[in-house]
Amino acid sequence: MDILYLLIPLSTVLVLGIIGVFGWALHGGQFDDLEQHGAQILQADAGSVDPCQGP
Amino acid sequence: MAASAQAIDRIAAAPAMALLDDAAELARFTRWLPARDGQRTGESSLRIGGMHCAACAGLIEAALRRVDGVVDARVSAAAQSATVQWDATRTRPSALVRAIEQAGYSALPDTAAGARALRLKESRAAVWRLFVAAFCAMQVMMLATPSYISGPGELAPDLKQLLDWGSWLLALPVLLFAAAPFFTGAWRSVRVGRIGMDVPVALGIGVAFLASSGAAFAPGGLFGTEVYFDSLTMFVSFLLGGRYLEMRARHRAAVALEDSVGRLPETAWRECADGSVEAVSVLRLQRGDTVRVAAGQAFAADGVLLRGATRVDESLLSGESVPVDKGVGAALAAGSMNLDAPVVMRVERAGADTRFEAIVALMREARTQRPAMLRSADRWAAPFLWSVLLLAAGAAAVWSVIDPSRAVWVAVSVLIVTCPCALSLAVPSAMLSAAAAMARRGVLLRRLEAIDGLARMDTLFIDKTGTLTQKESGGVQMIRVDDGAHWSEATLRGRAASLAAWSTHPVARALAADRAGDATAWRDVRELPGQGLEARDPDGTRWQLGRCAAATLDERGLSSIAVDAWLSRDGQPLAGFRFAESLRADAAAAVAALQRDGVRVALLSGDTPARVERIGRLLGLTDCRGGLAPDAKLAAVRAAQARGERVAMIGDGINDAPVLAQADTSLAMGEGAQIARAQADGVLVSNALHDVVRARALARRSLRVMRQNLVWAAAYNAACVPLALLGWLPPWAAGLGMATSSLVVVLNSLRLAR
Repeated sequence: MDILYLLIPLSTVLVLGIIGVFGWALHGGQFDDLEQHGAQILQADAGSVDPCQGP
Repeated sequence: MAASAQAIDRIAAAPAMALLDDAAELARFTRWLPARDGQRTGESSLRIGGMHCAACAGLIEAALRRVDGVVDARVSAAAQSATVQWDATRTRPSALVRAIEQAGYSALPDTAAGARALRLKESRAAVWRLFVAAFCAMQVMMLATPSYISGPGELAPDLKQLLDWGSWLLALPVLLFAAAPFFTGAWRSVRVGRIGMDVPVALGIGVAFLASSGAAFAPGGLFGTEVYFDSLTMFVSFLLGGRYLEMRARHRAAVALEDSVGRLPETAWRECADGSVEAVSVLRLQRGDTVRVAAGQAFAADGVLLRGATRVDESLLSGESVPVDKGVGAALAAGSMNLDAPVVMRVERAGADTRFEAIVALMREARTQRPAMLRSADRWAAPFLWSVLLLAAGAAAVWSVIDPSRAVWVAVSVLIVTCPCALSLAVPSAMLSAAAAMARRGVLLRRLEAIDGLARMDTLFIDKTGTLTQKESGGVQMIRVDDGAHWSEATLRGRAASLAAWSTHPVARALAADRAGDATAWRDVRELPGQGLEARDPDGTRWQLGRCAAATLDERGLSSIAVDAWLSRDGQPLAGFRFAESLRADAAAAVAALQRDGVRVALLSGDTPARVERIGRLLGLTDCRGGLAPDAKLAAVRAAQARGERVAMIGDGINDAPVLAQADTSLAMGEGAQIARAQADGVLVSNALHDVVRARALARRSLRVMRQNLVWAAAYNAACVPLALLGWLPPWAAGLGMATSSLVVVLNSLRLAR
C-alpha cells in the first residue's frame, strides 16, 4: 500500500490540472451556447461541420 | 378586422423602418469594421423574435446570407440575437430586417449588446466559481471517505495525515477563490455597520477552515483530530449553486425587459421651415430644431417651450410628483412627460441618448423598488441574524463546558444550519421567475407587486376605446351638419386631420391616418382629457375636435346622431366623424374567462352610453357605464375601493392615466399613450386581452408557490436549529440540509418560469 503515498499527492495535483483545463474551455466560450451546434447537423445546407474531415 | 389593425401598424411602422437606415440610428446597433479594399463593412446586432429552438438559427442565417451584400451572418439561439456583416454599398439594415421577417421571424435593432456582454461575463464567472467549488468538493469527499468507513485503528495515522493534507490543498481554492463573494459581501456589510446574510456564512466558512487546518497540521492539538473540509467545500458549492440559479432568473428577467424596450426607433415630429411636419429619429434632433410634442408623450430632448402652455410631469427625473406648469419660454427636460396640451418646443440639448436614459430609469425602478412582502422580510432580517450569532456563541460557550472538543463544531453547525438562504429566496425567486414568465407571454410588469394584485383582484374595470375595441382605419364616415355653403368636404376633412395630428387618442390617430391634413398653423392647441382637442387657427377662430356641449347639440337637434368626434368652429358643430369600430379579436373570450374566474368585469368609457351599452351586450356585461369624464371614472374606482373591493384597471389613453394610478393594479395597452404606460403597473405588450387571463392564472400560481416556499423554509429552520444546538447535527449534515432547502425553494420557483 506504499503506492498510496505517491498516488494521493498525484491525484490532488491532477485535480488542480483538470480544473485548469475546464477554466480554459469555459473562458474560451465553449459553454456559452450548448444547443445550437447540436442542431446544426439538421441543416441541409450547413456544409461539413469540420472542414478537416473532407467533403 | 385583423387586416385593418395591420394597416394601422404599417402606417406607424413605415417611417420608423426607414429611420433604421439613418446614420445616427445605425450607430446604436452597428459598428464599422476596418475597411478592406475600399469596401465599407458594417457589423450590426439584431434581436430576433419568434425563435423556438436551436434549429431556427440556421434558417435565419440562410435567409440573411441570401440577401445581396451580406458578407457574413451569425445567429445565436441562446442569446436570440444575430450579428450580421454587410457591405454598405450593396445593402441596408432595413433590408436585413425585411429578410428576417420574410423568413417568419421578427427582428429589432439590438441596442443592449453591451448589457448582454456584461451578463455573459457574469454568468461565466458564476459557472467558473461553481465548478471550482463543486469539483473540489467531490475530490475532498473522496479523500474523506476512508476516515468515515474505516474502523478504529484501521487507518494508519500517517496515511490519515496525508489524506487531510490533500483535502486541505483542495479546499484552498474553494476558500480563496470560490467563496470570495461571501467574504467580500460580509466585509462590505460589516464596514457599513449593518449585518447581512453573508456575515454568518463567512464566519461559518472561516471558522470551519481554520479549525480543520489546525486539526490537519497539529493533530490532537486545540482543535482535536476531526477535519471537516468535506462539509465546508460542499456547503460552499451548494450555496454557489443556489446563487447561480438566482442569477439565471435575474438574467432572464433582464432579457425580457430588453426585448420589450428594443422597439423600432423613437420618432419625433419636426416642423420644417415651410410649416409642414416630418418624422425624424430622436437622434437626428439638433439644437435649434422645432419639435411638436403631443399630450401624453415624453419630451425627446431638453429645450424651451415655444408655443402653447401645458403641465409637465417631471417625476421620473426629479422625483417631484406634482405636475409643473410650463408656459412659453419655460425649460423642458428630456424624458419628462407632457400632460395637458400639445406644444411646440425648440431643442436646446440633444444627442445625449435620452431614450436610453429613460430605459435605464425604468429598469432601475423595477429593480430597486422592493415589494411590500420583501420589505417586511428585510425588517426581520437584522434581528434574526443577530440572534443566529448569539445562539452560535451561546452554544459554543455551553459546549466548551460540557465537551470542549465539540464546541467549535456545534457553533459552526448552528451558523450553517440557520443560514436563512431559503427564507430569503422564497419570495424574490418566485416573483422574478413569475415576472419573467409573464414577460415572455406578453405582459411586462413594472412593479412586482402587480403579481399579488393580479391574483387577488375581484373587480376589473376596462376602458372601451382602444382597449376593448379598435378603430377601423379605412372609411372614416363624415356627417356634415353645417349649411354646406362655406366649406368643401375636402377642406373639412383636411382641417380635422391636421388638428387630429396633434393627439395620440385612438380616434384622432385613425382620423389623422385617414388622409393628410391641411397646412393650418394651429395656435394654442390644448388637449382636454375626455373632451378632445381645442385650438385656434391663424385668424384666431376657436376650433374643437372631440366632444360637443350637450346643450348645443340639443338646440340644433343633433343629439340623436352618434359620432365619435365633432369638429366644431366657435362652439358650433360643422361635421361629425364616425368610425367603424370593432371588438378586439380575443376580447369576448378573455372577458368571459375572467368572469368565470370570479372577477366582476365592468366597462368604464367616455364614449356615448348607447355605444358602450352595445359593446357591453356583445360581451355579456351588465355593468357598463358610458359618458364618463376622467374624474367620474376615478370616482367609480374609488367607490369600488371604498366597498373593500380590490380593483384592477386596464386602459390605454391619456384620460385613463389618473385611474390607472388610483387602481390597486393597473395594466396599459402597449400601443396606448406613453403616459398611460408610465402610470400602469404592467404593460400588455401585444395588446391582447387574453394575456390578462393567462397572467392572472400565473399570478395565482406564483402566490401558491410563494406560500409553499415560506412554509418549507420556516419549517426547515425551526426543525434544524434545536438539533444543531444539541450537537446532533454535524457540520456536513447542516451544510447539506441548508443547501437542499435553498435548492428546493429555487427549483419550486423555477416551475413558474416554464
